[in-house]
Amino acid sequence: MSTVLSPALARELHQLGEFDAEACLNCGVCSATCPLGIDLLPRRLFRYVVFGLAQRVREESEAIFSCLLCRACEQSCPAGVHITENVRLLRRWLLEEGL
Amino acid sequence: MSGRRIGVYVCHCGGNISDYVDVERVVQAVKDNDDVVVVRDAMFTCSDATQQEIATDIAEQQLDGLVVASCSPKLHTFTFRDVARRAGLNPYEYTQVNIREQCSWTHTDDRDGATRKAVKLVRAGIARTRLSEPLEPLEVETMPRVLVIGGGIAGMRAAIGLADIGLSVFLVERKLELGGWVGGFGEMFPHAKKGRALIAELKDEIKRRPAITVFTNAELTAKSGTYGNYRAVVRANGESIELEVGQIVVTTGFDSYEPEAGQYGYGIDGVLTLPEFKRLLDESEGPLLHEGKPVRNIAYVYCVGSRDAEHPYCSRFCCSAAVHASLLAVDRDADIRQYHLYRDLRTYGKNELMFNESRKRGSLYLKFADDDLPKVARNDDGLSVTVRDLLTAGEEVTIAADLVVLVTGMVPRQNEELVRTLKLPVGQDGFFNEIHPKLRPVETVVDGVMIAGACQGPKTSAESVASGLAAVAQGAAVLKRGVAELDPQVAVVNVSACTSCGECVAACPFGAISLTTTNGSDGPGVAVIDAAACKGCGGCVPVCPEDAIDLKGYTDSQVRAMIDGLLVGAET
Repeated sequence: MSTVLSPALARELHQLGEFDAEACLNCGVCSATCPLGIDLLPRRLFRYVVFGLAQRVREESEAIFSCLLCRACEQSCPAGVHITENVRLLRRWLLEEGL
Repeated sequence: MSGRRIGVYVCHCGGNISDYVDVERVVQAVKDNDDVVVVRDAMFTCSDATQQEIATDIAEQQLDGLVVASCSPKLHTFTFRDVARRAGLNPYEYTQVNIREQCSWTHTDDRDGATRKAVKLVRAGIARTRLSEPLEPLEVETMPRVLVIGGGIAGMRAAIGLADIGLSVFLVERKLELGGWVGGFGEMFPHAKKGRALIAELKDEIKRRPAITVFTNAELTAKSGTYGNYRAVVRANGESIELEVGQIVVTTGFDSYEPEAGQYGYGIDGVLTLPEFKRLLDESEGPLLHEGKPVRNIAYVYCVGSRDAEHPYCSRFCCSAAVHASLLAVDRDADIRQYHLYRDLRTYGKNELMFNESRKRGSLYLKFADDDLPKVARNDDGLSVTVRDLLTAGEEVTIAADLVVLVTGMVPRQNEELVRTLKLPVGQDGFFNEIHPKLRPVETVVDGVMIAGACQGPKTSAESVASGLAAVAQGAAVLKRGVAELDPQVAVVNVSACTSCGECVAACPFGAISLTTTNGSDGPGVAVIDAAACKGCGGCVPVCPEDAIDLKGYTDSQVRAMIDGLLVGAET
């Protein structure tokens, strides 16, 4: 059974702050530049968020908290996505959810 | 000995020929032929140095015939005609012999055979040249008037351009109003101006130009005449009008693809084509409603009727048009959720900026595979679209949508009568074909008939206008000179041998031959060939039972001499 997409999660994050993952092009430069080699971060993770797949996001909390917030990906992002800010917002959302 | 002085040049083509044809043997085999004054070989005959050498020979040796044995006449006929002309020799005194495509390239397994064949072909070329005669291009006066068929944005803009350049224009539109597709559009990309407003401006411009005569509710029904002087019959409001024009520009546009019932759920309430969705946007204000219900979630499915087995081409405009429509929708409701399901997104050039903006404003893009198409269904809550998204590692997701927009492409407009009347060349995809996509983009193989706009293949409105203006430049280039030069290699009739049987009249595919009485005498008359209409195809020559027709440049005696040249003489 396929998951039904929902705007709810993205709306919650928009309320928490300047969440802008929709601008992501899915090019993969972020994954390529990540010094920790976190494959999930941020492009697949952001798609889970904008599609409203909250459970998938929760399952990836370890990866979300391993991010160094070094901004290497953000420096290279051709779509100008504020990746680190988005990750911060996701951490806040996970904490408010009680993980 | 005929007394002719012929120069023969055999080309190595940098090894393309000489790797398989023994060029020196060819030179030796023809150097003692009657009437041959000069024989030379050259690494590249088409090079500037060798061209100059040929020109010098023509002058110093008083050559009156030229044979170049190199590549296909398709490649260099005009090159060597120009060499002859520059050296003061009539260009039609030159014969091209193809020993590359016909010898070296085809017989790589048989060098000796390739060389013997080359010798025979060159001898045949010499034999033809021995009987050549100087020909002068045919000059015809052209009519400074143009018929434009199709009053959409391309045809209207072309009509204005032609009028401004000093030509008279007849603009024929099938519908009751000028304007075509663009005349029905609201806001268009990329400059946000309304299509209706653009067309209103063009209509004003046309009204201000007395050189343009507009016929609406009108169609072309017949065309006759010859290069630069055509008679076109237009039926307007049920009345037939005969127009004399020098050229015809076809700007009949396209049809929007109509999905089959059930294709991506087409037929289900809430599944719209792109033009239907555009109309919904254009004809309403405020929050978007469809049949009274608010539209908060839209799914777009791209490439409907494009890039599939039946329509293998990309329709070019639709990605940009759909992205633009989604921007109009988010202008109306900032919280609207829009999902774009695409195969490849081609918002090319500056349209890429719209794509970037649409993502920043919340549009989500999902990529599906060519062999795994989205499925659209209706359930109790509304429409659902299920798609496997390649950008989320092939995850299957379902979108709950209030509207599904099928981003439909362009298909060729069915216009069989026009195709028949003008003998328009139709491509495999059903659109009209130009002669050369890069260098002759608006001319067709039919003399004096040009194509522009989306009747030629999918185009945006900007591209259609550019192509309409290309037709203006091309039309003016011919008509503003007032005369056109035609190839003199046409059929001629030996009037005293003609028995008026009419076989040639029936054989001519261009309607160039008629039986005409002269000097007021009675009887069926003799065959008369309109040199301006004749294309030199030679179709009439073999059907004449009296051998009364000859094709200039390829006369019966020349062809017989060529056959003798192929058969007679030692092989090497």
